[in-house]
Amino acid sequence: MRFWSLLLAVVRYLNCPERRATVFNGYRCGVPDRSLGQANLPRVLIARSTMRVLVGFLLASSLASAQNGSPGPRPSDEFSFMQRLADKGLHDIENESWNAYGQFTYISSWKPSFDAPYTNLNGSINSLLPTAERSFTGTATLYLGVRLWKGAEGYLVPELISERPLSQLKGLGGAIQNFELQKGGTETPQIYHSRIFIKQTFGLGGKTLVEESGPLQLATHYDSRRIVLVAGNFSILDFFDTNAFDVDPRDGFLGLGFMTYGAYDFASDARGYSYGGVAQLFWDDWAVRVGRITPPKEPNQLPVDFRLFKYYGDQMEAEHKHKIHGQEGMVRVLAFRNHEDMGRFSDAITAFEANPNENAATCTGFNYGSQNADAPDLCWARKSNVKKGIGAFAEQYIGHDIGVFGRAMYADGQTEVDAYTSDDRSATIGLLAKGSSWSRPKDVAGIGGNAGWISSIHAKYLGMGGVDGFVGDGAITAAAERSLDLFYSAHFRAVYWLTGDYQHITNPGFNAARGPVNVFTVRIHGQF
Amino acid sequence: MASFESHRSCAYGLLAGFVLLAFGPSLADAQQHASGFAVERLYQSAPGAGWFVMDDLDISSRLGGAVSLSSGYARNPLVITGPDGKQKLAVVSEEAFVDFGAAITHDRFRGYIDFPVPLLLGGTSGTIGEYQFTAPSVSFGTNPDTVSDPRIGFDIRFLGEPGGLLRLGAGAQLLFPSGNRSDYLTDDKYRAMFRFLAAGDAGRFTYAGQLGVQVRTLNDAPVPGSPNRSEFLYGISGGRRFAGSRGWAVVAGPEIFGETAFRAFFSGETATEALLTGRFEHTGTGRNLRIKLGVGHALVQNFGAAQWRVVFGVEMFGHK
Repeated sequence: MRFWSLLLAVVRYLNCPERRATVFNGYRCGVPDRSLGQANLPRVLIARSTMRVLVGFLLASSLASAQNGSPGPRPSDEFSFMQRLADKGLHDIENESWNAYGQFTYISSWKPSFDAPYTNLNGSINSLLPTAERSFTGTATLYLGVRLWKGAEGYLVPELISERPLSQLKGLGGAIQNFELQKGGTETPQIYHSRIFIKQTFGLGGKTLVEESGPLQLATHYDSRRIVLVAGNFSILDFFDTNAFDVDPRDGFLGLGFMTYGAYDFASDARGYSYGGVAQLFWDDWAVRVGRITPPKEPNQLPVDFRLFKYYGDQMEAEHKHKIHGQEGMVRVLAFRNHEDMGRFSDAITAFEANPNENAATCTGFNYGSQNADAPDLCWARKSNVKKGIGAFAEQYIGHDIGVFGRAMYADGQTEVDAYTSDDRSATIGLLAKGSSWSRPKDVAGIGGNAGWISSIHAKYLGMGGVDGFVGDGAITAAAERSLDLFYSAHFRAVYWLTGDYQHITNPGFNAARGPVNVFTVRIHGQF
Repeated sequence: MASFESHRSCAYGLLAGFVLLAFGPSLADAQQHASGFAVERLYQSAPGAGWFVMDDLDISSRLGGAVSLSSGYARNPLVITGPDGKQKLAVVSEEAFVDFGAAITHDRFRGYIDFPVPLLLGGTSGTIGEYQFTAPSVSFGTNPDTVSDPRIGFDIRFLGEPGGLLRLGAGAQLLFPSGNRSDYLTDDKYRAMFRFLAAGDAGRFTYAGQLGVQVRTLNDAPVPGSPNRSEFLYGISGGRRFAGSRGWAVVAGPEIFGETAFRAFFSGETATEALLTGRFEHTGTGRNLRIKLGVGHALVQNFGAAQWRVVFGVEMFGHK
């Protein structure tokens, strides 16, 4: 109780414009003066808020849903079905011909009401609702791997998802509070295949590296110099900009902005998966990878456009591993270029200004359903366009099981979001610590900050009442969307992790006129 | 006079229009819309089980496993015949799939999972009698990640040994509803199958058979060609082995399989297909490979039996 009360106090203090004047006055920011006359009211308010949080958590009982976080490796001291077989002498876990892993995760989030002078103005549809809401996702995944021939591995990953997003997944950019949420998801559980791909490795010599058994990884020995080719259906994040410190995202930060660059609008379907190919060259501490993948037929929708020579997402990444004072670290640079059927904000504005009848309410092609007749819409501007971006990532251990990471990306910001988030520029920093220093080595704690920006033309389009795949309140006071995310993930009973997470989101939907928003989340995750 | 005739024809026209307006909606309302169901009738055997539908019960006594990939195309798997016996509507005229499976075996037990992925379903919409049928429209582009009714299964061989004259066993499968019913991918309800299995080898000849029950709760009767609750499953296969060099062999022979609804036992709601199969296989080692090809034709073409189909499969299986 004291923790959450303190947290609420800190948050309110941070959001208070007159914070210096109010810091010793309790929680008066935003509360009418006359109500402060009741001496106990602040405590009552805090107690109510805290009770809401607790009641929200206690009532979070319905079963629920997965974006595309690549699973982390499974240390040999953690329970798994494969380790159990190996312990009984029934499986060679150092040189596998097959493996099978699984996970299930349930995430329940609660968002209290927040201040907003307007919502879905003039028929727009993409505001985060200011009323209290609960969201959940539930996922269950099976990771199957088999060695096909020398150097070849095949993977099949069926997955089940059920979800209820906040405000139908509208109103937030890269600050979406739960990375598992998918566009178009439903509370009715859906089964789909998230990955079916073949990986072929060609050794080029160097040192021999041991690759441990895990999801999407057969235990084997690799050359430190090798070429790896991948073809099929996968998440591009299985290979590009992989998780900081190999922490499984289902044990780590919950915010979508922490999974990869918020501005990395990688081509994918509505669930975050793609078809295509990746080629990787590993040369000791260096790695270079390139990939071409399929975009959606329509922005943010499930159907895939397989015309890989016409529409595609290309990416290239260079990576270097290093040690600083004996502590491991890594630096990456990633660039992407998407050639897709999508709209430019300037074209939508030009079309609207030339002919006001070409507005959001009169779309004849694919659109998001805005009824704002006084706003431009991307439906009038979709054609073959290019989106580009470049970003950098760094992670560095600063002590035993403690590391810091940061990533930032700059995309051109001229075209709409096609697959990931509405961010045109993004920056994230974070600190992750495993609990070895407090005798709970499988626990994970983290604190991080994420910020996303939109380009000036994107802001102009939203300000005229336009909407994109996620944001558009009908008006805008453009500002960076920021989120603070802190979590603690506690390991218990061999295969489970229980996580408490708090996120504070400022300027939701890049709009300083609305918010801030608090989101409290509990997650239970099991793996076998 | 001409004017009178003109007015009279105009009045008749108005009257006819009024009658259409008045009764048109009710006529349309009288039509029932068929909702779709899981049209696929090729209930494939477990990965490593030899045949396409039958099971050779050749489960090694040691810990083993199998992975399989199969793909097929079926022509006219759902053709509805009108009450006059002449009108025909190919609601599902083509169907293509790819199917991924994995099994683990130990002693005389086998557990497995199977994930069918639809690649293509299409057909012709129309009306037969008082029933309106809407053809599915599934392509890999529009449904890039659909899994239709995945299943888990468990088989046991309770009599006989691999290579023996007679092996008896039983199997159970649970099918999870997945996909859209209107796409003819699923019943949108759980299904289960229980099968009594027999197989054996006699010199160069091999055979297998099954009798079973599909517990199906969907009852769309009297919509023609639609499920009518639980079904009786039957099938038999036989083949001759032609030994090759370096442990390779070819097994060729027919598989005949089908099902009939208990409520219309071997009447209109019965489907029977025959597949002529050929298997090119390398067995008897710790790591084996089997490549299968089947070409088939409906013996009783209704209730989801394809007019003709082609099936291809690859299995890798082995044991420690």
